Amino acid sequence: MELEKTIVGNAAILSCSGRLNMVAAPKLRAMVDQTVADGHARIVVDLTDTSFVDSSGLGALIGGLKVTRQAGGDLRIAGAPEQVTTVLQLTNLDRVLKSHSTPADATRDW
Amino acid sequence: MTSIGEQERLTALHRLRLLDTPPEERFDRIVRMAQLIFGVPMVSVQLIDESRAFHKAVVGMSRNDLPRGKTFCSRTIQTPAALVIPDLSADENFGSHPFVVGPPHLRFYAGQPLAAPGGQRVGSLCILDTVPRELAAREVSILRDLADWVEQELASDADLVHAREIQRRLMPNRAPEIPGYDVAGRCLPARDLGGDFFDWQLRGDQFHIVVADVMGKGIGAALIAAAVRSVVRGASRFNNLQESLSRTAATMEDDLNGTSTFVTMFTSRLDPETGDLEYIDAGHGLALIITDEGQIRQLASDGLPLGAVVGDRWEPSYDRLDPGETLIVVSDGILDYFPDPKTAAKAAAELSQYSRDAWEMVDQIATLGSAYPPADDITAVVVRRAGA
Repeated sequence: MELEKTIVGNAAILSCSGRLNMVAAPKLRAMVDQTVADGHARIVVDLTDTSFVDSSGLGALIGGLKVTRQAGGDLRIAGAPEQVTTVLQLTNLDRVLKSHSTPADATRDW
Repeated sequence: MTSIGEQERLTALHRLRLLDTPPEERFDRIVRMAQLIFGVPMVSVQLIDESRAFHKAVVGMSRNDLPRGKTFCSRTIQTPAALVIPDLSADENFGSHPFVVGPPHLRFYAGQPLAAPGGQRVGSLCILDTVPRELAAREVSILRDLADWVEQELASDADLVHAREIQRRLMPNRAPEIPGYDVAGRCLPARDLGGDFFDWQLRGDQFHIVVADVMGKGIGAALIAAAVRSVVRGASRFNNLQESLSRTAATMEDDLNGTSTFVTMFTSRLDPETGDLEYIDAGHGLALIITDEGQIRQLASDGLPLGAVVGDRWEPSYDRLDPGETLIVVSDGILDYFPDPKTAAKAAAELSQYSRDAWEMVDQIATLGSAYPPADDITAVVVRRAGA
């Protein structure tokens, strides 16, 4: 998986391409932690080019959500594959982990 | 007729659960290394089943099963020592073997028996060549060393088998006897161990039922699952439903945060006398009641999984299991076999209509995953109330 960070205004966009699985999830977690430590607590994880998210990937997103909220920010996702949004709905996690179609959409009210 | 010793040997072999499994790097690297060390074209790790030899790892030769009578290794396993045949064409047993007189025209064979953890000789590590050769004492001892390594890999699997048995024992193996009710549950891990579990306890006039799914699979998820089960079990003895879930979440909070894990859980209390059901669905989303006419009642709620939000609270919901109705709670592993949760619910309703009892239902659900190893853990608990 490739991870790329872009700062847009007061938000950090983390773009994941490839598979967000057991191998990649800790890398995403580490990048979220670092981004928050650098002072950016508003994070969008862009999943537009992510082919697959397994439960570890989901765990990394939820873990990242907690870290950003503790720092007074938020974590949102953009362009999530249907497989991910289905799991989020089933587990009611869509209540806290908001899914948007694009990063621009996700940061609109920030 | 199979002798007692042979029966014990076959049991030990089958317990390893390696027959007909795909190639694994942990064995492949040993045969590659043996090929280099001995400078032979062919090496294999064979497991000798009742009537065939299964190749767990090969290099330079076919992976296909061989009839037991056709493989040299079936003789190797008769004694504990290595069997070395410097020239097969001159050997009284194997001189006319089709692989000696015909292709690949084998000449040299050396095999070291492989023992299961209990000492039963279940297979062999063998090296083969198309030219005759000798094996020096030093080389015999290297072959023995490599075979020890293979045995260690066989045993590490046996360790997992043991762990699997323990996990199975941490789940109820008997249904409680509740007049007018029929209860059954099963859990099928995707790997040796899984992150799903179910539990039930009859406490006073209340029947507690829990189905939970720890995010992820395998050993890591199983460790968390064992912890959650203990905490939930302890908490629900002394607290009401809502309190016991909150205390479980609080107790597990650090562990779930530290491991970036969350747990979905359906936890409930049934009053068998009235059928009154108090439940909390913490992001589980897969509990329903089927009426005796086959109508589906989803036990939905908007609770989050444990570990998703720090300091979360859950509100209980209420329903009633009327005479003739069936409560079904499953884990999301079954969704791999249906296009969406709705279709799965319909299938459950049909299953409830034609099944004789709760066990038949959970067995049917379990067979979804038994055709091939399931991609995710599968769990099902069924509680049926007899018709009026």
